[in-house]
Amino acid sequence: MVLKLLGLGFRYLLRRPYTRLYPYKEPPFTTERTRARHLLYMDRCIGCRACQLACPADAIKMYKIEGEWPKNRLKIFPGVDYSRCTYCGLCVEACPTSALVMTDYTMEHLITEDKSTTLYTPEMLAEPPKGEHRVTFTKDLLKPPPQPPPKKGGGG
Amino acid sequence: MRKLQVFLGPQHPGAPGNVAFLLTLDGERILDVDLIPGFLHRGFEKMMEYRRWDMDLVMSARICVEDPDHVELSYTHAMDQIFGVDPPERAKYARTIVAEFSRLASHLLWMMHFAGPVAARYATSWAIAAREEVLKWFDYVAGHRIYHHYIYPGGVRWNLPKDLKERTLQVLDRVEGLVRDMERGFFLHPVFQRRARDVGRLKASDAVRLGATGPVLRGSGVAHDIRKALKYDAYGMVDFEIPKGEYGDAYDRAMVRLREMYVSIGIIRQAVQQIPEEGPYRWRLPMALPPGEGVGRVESARGEFMTHIVSTTEKPGGRPLEPYRIKFRGPTMAHLTTVLKHIVHNEEITVADFPVVVGSLDPCPPDIDR
Amino acid sequence: MKGADTGRRIEVEVEPSQLRERLRRALEEGYDHFIGINVVDYPRAGVMEVYYFVESVQRGGELLVVKLRVPRENPALDSVSDIYPLAEYQEIEGHEFFGLDFRGNGSLRKWILDENWEGPPPLRKDVDTRKFVLETYYGGQRYERPKQEKSLQEVVE
Ligand code: SF4
Ligand code: SF4
Repeated sequence: MVLKLLGLGFRYLLRRPYTRLYPYKEPPFTTERTRARHLLYMDRCIGCRACQLACPADAIKMYKIEGEWPKNRLKIFPGVDYSRCTYCGLCVEACPTSALVMTDYTMEHLITEDKSTTLYTPEMLAEPPKGEHRVTFTKDLLKPPPQPPPKKGGGG
Repeated sequence: MRKLQVFLGPQHPGAPGNVAFLLTLDGERILDVDLIPGFLHRGFEKMMEYRRWDMDLVMSARICVEDPDHVELSYTHAMDQIFGVDPPERAKYARTIVAEFSRLASHLLWMMHFAGPVAARYATSWAIAAREEVLKWFDYVAGHRIYHHYIYPGGVRWNLPKDLKERTLQVLDRVEGLVRDMERGFFLHPVFQRRARDVGRLKASDAVRLGATGPVLRGSGVAHDIRKALKYDAYGMVDFEIPKGEYGDAYDRAMVRLREMYVSIGIIRQAVQQIPEEGPYRWRLPMALPPGEGVGRVESARGEFMTHIVSTTEKPGGRPLEPYRIKFRGPTMAHLTTVLKHIVHNEEITVADFPVVVGSLDPCPPDIDR
Repeated sequence: MKGADTGRRIEVEVEPSQLRERLRRALEEGYDHFIGINVVDYPRAGVMEVYYFVESVQRGGELLVVKLRVPRENPALDSVSDIYPLAEYQEIEGHEFFGLDFRGNGSLRKWILDENWEGPPPLRKDVDTRKFVLETYYGGQRYERPKQEKSLQEVVE
């Protein structure tokens, strides 16, 4: 028994560690679907506030940005407060024009020592993240789009 | 006899999560235990009344951190009943797979919590390694490691990836290897057996009477499982057994959880083979919530989880978007109040045994507080 | 019986005075597993609906819901903690969140909300917890995040 267990322990001793050497050697683990920092395409946004109304954490507020925005007459754009955001992605789902998408630039990248810098204004969201990233969560993930349910009698 | 009152927790390693106990001691023996909850009360039930039903789903996952998908699943079942929809076939399998992975992750985290107080630190790290594989799988399917928001009223939130079968089977092989090693290195280890045998005995009749559910109930020898009893989602279509214990002591409960991990792996293996390749994955539901009532009962990793949702037309602001009242019933309240009191009153439990007893009940205090 | 899938249940409505009798009979009928108590507040009708959920392990998880209404002004009903032990704690929850008085339950007290909440029972529908918290605990001030150099634009809310 004891020898067997020792053998088992040795096998684990020789294995590669499971932990990642973040942040110096390896980036955090992400996949094709990881939801993390948003990216805002300001030319697509129509200022409809659907994202603000969909946010369960009240993380989104609308900001006025001066400039030429043919699609956005009110000139308001969403900004995300990352000290509140839960990365649920409901705002991306709610956006009618696919102006808001999410990248896999995770919260490990967004770590900061200064709490007052966690607010991302529309302009900061429109700028792609500095490090390596890919656009992961767009409305394409909801393809084929959900159909209305078949009619049936009764129900709860 | 001098009685001593000691406040245990909420940071004690034997009391995982944010809960405290008030112990009444006579020397080393525990005479009585009182639960002190409330450290994690966030008022979710009230917050949900202020928010839209789809936001509530995001919130519901946070009720039990370790096993979020079953909370979402029970919420979703109740919502499905209110909307009067039956999810598509593909979504039923997807829900089953995700729920079983969640059970796996939760049991592995319990292993970590449990092996710590028993002083088997090596098992702790093995369990976390295996859980890491599961969390990576979640990242790959649902987009996040801990809170997935993948199970959604009307189906699942988005389609499963194309290479689901191969990837899932790979992950399962790796997890199963680790669990087998844990079984040999920890569960069958004589030191652990001596530590957990005959500690915290609970008879079958008492378990039912006191309201125990899940592995605690099954560890006492009652083969009751909502998955089998109600056959919700795809559980009617897969073949699985319900592991149960004999004596109802801490060791039996631990072994039930170990065998449940194998059962979960078996269920997922069958489900990824049977899942239909094509077909819708989600019905689009209207934004407005119809009046109605729904009860969602699922077998979570810790026991029976129930969500009761009432939606009426009597809304204060007249918005038919928020549910009128949501009630969550988690399994932990019974385990940490009636069951724990019963064990302590009927058996000589010392302070040193207490972490083993509490650990074997696998508490998740947030679902008491909510 | 109604509802799909996991919502299958038998609902009975009783008068508050018959509650104990009905639940004792339920226990004899084999509903041996107590699940929980839910309370729903209807301020306009002036009543609170109390739901008792009990399940039968012998009969494959059949769910029985016993429903009753108590007036909002004097929400008192009998405790069933001697029939189902777990009810004792669920009743404490109903007491602290809804102000229900369960006659015969000796341990009614603040439990989950102990030292967290000094105010009316928070889950009642006419209690606006957001306003109450703002006034009582934050002195009428909403929490605002610290000003940030980079975001001095105008917030439109
Ligand atoms: S991801 Fe969720 S929490 Fe974050 S801003 Fe979008 S809706 Fe709000
Ligand atoms: S980002 Fe999308 S949802 Fe938000 S205001 Fe712009 S268009 Fe509307």
